[in-house]
Amino acid sequence: MRFPSESWFNAVAEVFNGDESFQGGGGGACNTLMGAKVGDRNFLITFEGVECTGAREVKAAELEAADFYLDMAPADWRAMIQNIASNGHADLEYTLNTLDLDREQGLAHSVHGDQYREDLFFRYNQTLQYYFDASARVATEFGQ
Amino acid sequence: MTEKTAAKPAASSDRPVDPMADRPAPNLKWMGITHQWGTRVKPGKHGLRLGDLNVGIYGEVPAVWNDQTRNPRGAVARRGIPPVGYAIRDKADLWADSAADMYEEAIQRRWAPAVDVPWASIAPLPDAVEQAVCQVMTELSQYANVDVEAVTHWQHQMAYGYHEVKQYLATVSFDAARHMEVFRKRALCNGGGLGLEGPGEVNRMILESRGGWTETVLYLFLMRGLFTQTLLRYLEQHAHNHAERAIYTNCIEDKARHLTYGIDHLWYAINHQNDQKLIVNQLCIIGERILVRELKDPVLREALAIIFAGGIEHASGKGIATYEQMLGDFVRRYLDTLKWLGVERTILFPPELAGYVGKGAR
Repeated sequence: MRFPSESWFNAVAEVFNGDESFQGGGGGACNTLMGAKVGDRNFLITFEGVECTGAREVKAAELEAADFYLDMAPADWRAMIQNIASNGHADLEYTLNTLDLDREQGLAHSVHGDQYREDLFFRYNQTLQYYFDASARVATEFGQ
Repeated sequence: MTEKTAAKPAASSDRPVDPMADRPAPNLKWMGITHQWGTRVKPGKHGLRLGDLNVGIYGEVPAVWNDQTRNPRGAVARRGIPPVGYAIRDKADLWADSAADMYEEAIQRRWAPAVDVPWASIAPLPDAVEQAVCQVMTELSQYANVDVEAVTHWQHQMAYGYHEVKQYLATVSFDAARHMEVFRKRALCNGGGLGLEGPGEVNRMILESRGGWTETVLYLFLMRGLFTQTLLRYLEQHAHNHAERAIYTNCIEDKARHLTYGIDHLWYAINHQNDQKLIVNQLCIIGERILVRELKDPVLREALAIIFAGGIEHASGKGIATYEQMLGDFVRRYLDTLKWLGVERTILFPPELAGYVGKGAR
């Protein structure tokens, strides 16, 4: 599966939805629209209840609909996904929390600047981490 | 009861006792007493949630709740019930639109330290690091205890009419109790123990914030809560094992919910009460000075610096630099949040905090 692509995010969603262990222990109901900005490619990923219900590629302007979006250069996305693939999950250098703390501009952003919606990144952090950790089970190729 | 039973002639005769004989005929006059009948709330795709019940009169949340009994919102008041007294009866003094949803979220995303933390992943650490971790756990468990005490102190003073907030705050108490539990468990599970009690200046400020729940919210959730959440984020980044990572990650989510309620309530209070913005600003001036005093205590700073540096050797270099970066993140987010609420912290903002704004700035 090629990253970044709509089909890659949906394949990760399929793994995520199929593993009940992602729903317990601090995971669980998660209702948010998350954006992902990979260079000049943009995606919206929907979480409803205990499922990721789908991802779609959008134009940059449509990221305004997202509660927050994760913004990294393609090389940084690749490093994170490769780290997850090699460990089965993100190690401490590549958790969403660490990536947000370590990046000069942060990882999570919003177009609207609504603090309430931006904070969903922290409220659902474990679930979002589980989602990306699920990518360890998706064979990934990189490139446009 | 005893006298009545003894006086019954039937009890000493051979005639069969009619158990219904002394019972009054059903009154049933209560039936049909309602403000609104025929309500049929249906579950949505996320189940039957608390907020879904706010239909018809049951969804009418008045600006002031005058009833001083424990009459549920939407029920018919019984005449002659003596008031039990609520101190907080104005919606603007406690309300947050998100409370019902946050209540559901807290329950659905609950976790149990006993089984959801992989305790077996904890291995012996260098003595200085273990001591530092235990010291931080000691102070964090104090914070959590203050969360419980502050919330429960106010909770029973809140009018039942705003039940969504009362219910949400019950989950905050439970979250905080879980934090007390998990920090204590971490301190006592790896050959260490509890360390030195924290200085407690901010604890006292929170516990003695008697001016109203809004004041407590500012200190408990925005000032202390945001500080704690930032600290937990850095601890997660420097976790020594999967157990610590699970502890900090889950606590971060809990604290994020608390912060969301805090921000939501402060927004509501500021936008529904005259001068509340000025009051919040003045409370910030008072609270920030106390926070500055507490930050002068070296114990937490040194313990965190050891954790961030992986030992004593680099604590005064890399460790302190990371600590200052952490404080920079906290202060910037604190100021950003207040700004979003319409409170610009420019007047009398302590230079000791302002000095951190540029540390690790993004």
